[in-house]
Amino acid sequence: MQGSRPLVRVVRLGLVSYQEGLRLQQVYVDRHRSGPAHSLLLCEHPPVYTTGIRHQPYPASRLDPLRLLGAEVHRANRGGLITFHGPGQLVCYPVLDLSGFRKSVRWYVAQLEKTVVSACGSLGVTATTSPHTGVWVGDNKICAMGIHCGRYVTSHGLALNCNTDLSWFSHIVPCGIEGKGVTSLSRELRRDVSVHEATPHLLAAFGEHFHCELSEDA
Amino acid sequence: MAAYALLRSMSSSFSSVLPLLSRSGSLSPAPLAVKPLFRRTLASSSRFSAALKFTDKHEWVRVEDDGIIGTVGISNFAQEALGDVVYCGLPEVGTQLAQQDEFGALESVKAASELYSPLTGEVVEVNSLLADKPGLVNKSCYKDGWLMKMTIAKPAELDSLMDEAAYERYIRSIED
Repeated sequence: MQGSRPLVRVVRLGLVSYQEGLRLQQVYVDRHRSGPAHSLLLCEHPPVYTTGIRHQPYPASRLDPLRLLGAEVHRANRGGLITFHGPGQLVCYPVLDLSGFRKSVRWYVAQLEKTVVSACGSLGVTATTSPHTGVWVGDNKICAMGIHCGRYVTSHGLALNCNTDLSWFSHIVPCGIEGKGVTSLSRELRRDVSVHEATPHLLAAFGEHFHCELSEDA
Repeated sequence: MAAYALLRSMSSSFSSVLPLLSRSGSLSPAPLAVKPLFRRTLASSSRFSAALKFTDKHEWVRVEDDGIIGTVGISNFAQEALGDVVYCGLPEVGTQLAQQDEFGALESVKAASELYSPLTGEVVEVNSLLADKPGLVNKSCYKDGWLMKMTIAKPAELDSLMDEAAYERYIRSIED
């Protein structure tokens, strides 16, 4: 794209329920109706399991036991299968109008993967992509992804395990992929890595891979 | 449309058609030229040709021979931009759609991308092959990877869509 770089507004939501996260994403999606309004929502969620548009693998009988663990359960209109969000996990919802970048969902997801690989790298973790969307350290997924796109406006996004309690994942087959595990920045670096520490690395990598300016409200 | 229906209801034998043509004042006064060409002439008028019309969201619609049903799918540009389709979320038969209504979503690379109806009408059929073979949308987006068939409640809406040449120009303008 020639001309100036797109402006993306960083919005730090803190700890919000998954439901509140959905509501706020919709607010930011709707802003695109009156012109470019790219934003990057950052948050953490209390424990919640979510599924995507493929409902068939997850009937109520399979989801109800998860509630007994003390987590919420939600269906979302994103791609991807079941995953977990919880404290210690950096959740990022880019609400971009792809008309301002590249009108390809495949490109967008690839750029998100590269963003996370770079962020992990700058923290000292060598991560990779694979035929399974998401970011991996060997056979263990360190960051899940699942997005939605309507009229070129994106929602949902990625979830990077910083110091998440990974035992929550043992109750599901994460993203429906048998035989693989999960990991976190803390596990890989054998020290505590918080969401607070990881966030600037993710933002810097996002700015780099999406060739955009990030702004924060005062 | 009335003359067309009259012809269809007649026997296909030319000799039995001729006397009817000469009696009816509403049909062409040149029956020899009209013969089997009559049906084709109507069929090739722009609204009922087998050519594809495109939306700016990369869906296509093809009007079927009867002019009543449109087959809907996504373009090659769209399937490339999506990546490998792993799931097709399609509407129930009987769903009423207005032009530009969201009618479903395709999932690829962990992304659910919305689909928008090119026309106003009712869903009459959904491609059941896609349940087991969603990849047909990538491999054969104009043929075996069709998504749904719908009635054409407002034929004039076809005029608001792009023909193939206009769509090609539109793609090029996006890619710049």
